Amino acid sequence: MSFIDRIDPELVHAVDLMPAERYIAISEDPPKARQMTEEFHRAMADALPPTDVTIQETVIPGTDCDIPIVIYQPTDPAPRGGLLWMHGGGYIVGTARADGHGIGFAERAGCTVVSVDYRLAPESTYKDSIADCFAALTWMVDNAGELDIDAGRLAIGGGSAGGGLTAGLAHYNRDHGGPELKLQLLIYPMIDDTHDTPSGHEITHPTIWHRQVSFEAWKMYLGDEYGTDHVSPYAAASRATNFSGLPPAFVTVGMLDLFRDENIDYAQRLMAAGVPTDLHVYPGMFHGAEMSVPNAAVSTRMRTDYLDAVKRAIG
Amino acid sequence: MSFIDQVDPELIDALDFFPAELMTAIGDDPPKAREMFIPLWAAGDTAIPPNDVRIEERMIPTPDGEVMVAIYQPPTPAPRGGLLWIHGGGYIVGSGRNDPHGIGFADHVGCAVVSVDYRLAPESTYKESVADCYAALTWMVDNAAEIGIDANRVAIGGASAGGGLTAALALYNRDRGGHDLAFQLLIYPMIDDRHETPSGHAITHPTVWNREVSLKAWRMYLGDEFGADHVSPYAAAARATDLSGLPPAFVTVGTLDLFRDEDIAYAQRLMAAGVPTELQVCPGMYHGAEMSAPDADVSRRMRLGYRDAVKRAIG
Repeated sequence: MSFIDRIDPELVHAVDLMPAERYIAISEDPPKARQMTEEFHRAMADALPPTDVTIQETVIPGTDCDIPIVIYQPTDPAPRGGLLWMHGGGYIVGTARADGHGIGFAERAGCTVVSVDYRLAPESTYKDSIADCFAALTWMVDNAGELDIDAGRLAIGGGSAGGGLTAGLAHYNRDHGGPELKLQLLIYPMIDDTHDTPSGHEITHPTIWHRQVSFEAWKMYLGDEYGTDHVSPYAAASRATNFSGLPPAFVTVGMLDLFRDENIDYAQRLMAAGVPTDLHVYPGMFHGAEMSVPNAAVSTRMRTDYLDAVKRAIG
Repeated sequence: MSFIDQVDPELIDALDFFPAELMTAIGDDPPKAREMFIPLWAAGDTAIPPNDVRIEERMIPTPDGEVMVAIYQPPTPAPRGGLLWIHGGGYIVGSGRNDPHGIGFADHVGCAVVSVDYRLAPESTYKESVADCYAALTWMVDNAAEIGIDANRVAIGGASAGGGLTAALALYNRDRGGHDLAFQLLIYPMIDDRHETPSGHAITHPTVWNREVSLKAWRMYLGDEFGADHVSPYAAAARATDLSGLPPAFVTVGTLDLFRDEDIAYAQRLMAAGVPTELQVCPGMYHGAEMSAPDADVSRRMRLGYRDAVKRAIG
C-alpha cells in the first residue's frame, strides 16, 4: 500500500501544500527555507479567526544574547497557568512570531503562553537553543507576578523540533534544579537523531518531513556530535538513559509521521520509569497535518486532545 | 517508584475491586473463580442497560453445536451498525450475558450489540473460543436484516481476553476470506502469551491482572501449544507475522497494565502494515480500571475514547 493511500482522505489534498523545495532548501539554503516557512506560517496565521487573546512581542535577557519572545494573554482571570511554547521547524527554520499555536493554548487552556525565539542551526547548535529555552523558563518564573502566572502551574510544550526541545528541556530543567513542571507536551517531537525504527525508514515522501531532510537538520543542530555515540540527551532526548523525576508527559503523533515509532518508544520509556504519560497516535496523519488541515475530523481530534491535556494540567 | 504510587489517585480505592482470591482462583480453581467473578462484574450500574435498550438472548448454530448470544438493541432506526462484542475474563471466566462493557455501546453508539458466550478454558481451548466467535459473526452477517443491522457496518470488539479474541478473529476472518469488517476495537487486549516486555515483567500486584495469573490462564487456553514456538496467531495475535489487510483498529491500554508494551507493539505493527490504527495509552490506569472506577476522570476519557471510536466507525 502506497504512502498516499494510507493518508486520511480529508488530509490527502494537503500533502503537497508545502513544496518539496522548502525541504531541499532546509539543507542547502537555510535563509531561503526560513523565508518560505515564514510566508507559509503567515498564511496559516492570517486564516485564523479573530481572537480576544492579547499578543505582545518583547525581548528578554539570555545568557549570552537577548531572546525575542511572544506573550499570549487570554482574558481569563489571573493568576493563570503558564505555558512555555517552543515552535517547530527542524531546529533550522520557524519563528515564535509566525507560529499559529499560541492563541489556541491561551484560548482553550486559559493560560498565559510565552513562545520563545530560540537560536537556530546551523548558525548555532543545540547548546544555544536549550540555553535560550531554559532562560525563557527561568524568566517566566522570575516574572510570574507581572505575567499574571501562577508559578505553581507551569508547563512546557512544543511541536516537532519544539517538541524535541521540550523533551530536552525537561531533562535539562531536572538536572539543573529548575522549577517544578506540571506537564511536558510533546507533539510529534523530534527527539531521535538515528531514525532507526520502522517509521524512520518508511517515511520518505518529499513534501512532508522525511528521513533525508531530518538527517540534514540533525547534522546542523548537533554539530560535532552528529554521528557519534555521545550525542547529548539535551539535543536528542531519545539518547537519555535516566527518565526518572521528569514531569508528566503527553505524547502525540500521527501514524504516518517519520517520528512515530521513536515517539512511541520514548513514551514507553517514560512509562517504564513511572512518569505519568499519555500517548495518543492518530491514524492517517502525516507530520503537522493537524495544522495544515485544521478542519479535518482527525485534526480536530488531535488538537482538542492536546489542548485539553494542557487544560487539565495547568488550566 | 512503587506500583501503588503510580496509580492515578482516583483509581486507588478500586484497586481491590477484584480480590486477590479471585486472581488466585482463576489460575487454580476456575469454577470457583467463575462463581466469584460474575456477580462482581455484573453488579455495577454500568451493567444495567438503559430502559429503552431491548435485550434478547438466543442460541445460534456453531459448526459443532450452538452458542448463546445476548443481543442489545437501541431505539435508533434500523438498519443500525452492528458490534460483535467479545467479553473478557482471561479466557477462563466471564459471560456473554450482562457484560457491562458491551452494553454501553448500544446506548452510546446506537448500534446493535451481539455479545457472544464463547466456550472457555480449561474445558476448551482457543480453537473452540475462536470458532464460536466466528460463528456469531457469520450469524450476524447472515441475519443482518432480521436483527436490523447494516451488514456493511459491522465491527468486532472486546476487552482483555475479549480484545485478544477480537484481534484473533480479525486474523481468522481475513484468512478465511470472511466478512468485510469496518473496525476492530482492542481494549487492553490479551494477545501475547510470553509477557516478555518491560510491562510484562513489571506488573505483579496481586489484585490486578498480573504476570502470574496471566501465564496460568494462557497455559489453560493454549493447551499443548503453551510454551511452544508454534503458538497459533488465532490464540495469541501477537504471534502473527502478517498483519496486512486487517480492519482499521483502535487500541487502548493503561500505563500500569501488564499488557501495555505488548499492546503498543501490536499497534505499531498494525501501523507499519498500513492498517489505519489509533492508539491511546492512559496514565495511571491498571487493567480494567475504567470499569472498576467508572467515574474517575481518566476512566471517562478512556471509555469515551473507545466508544467514540466505534461511533465513528459504524455509528
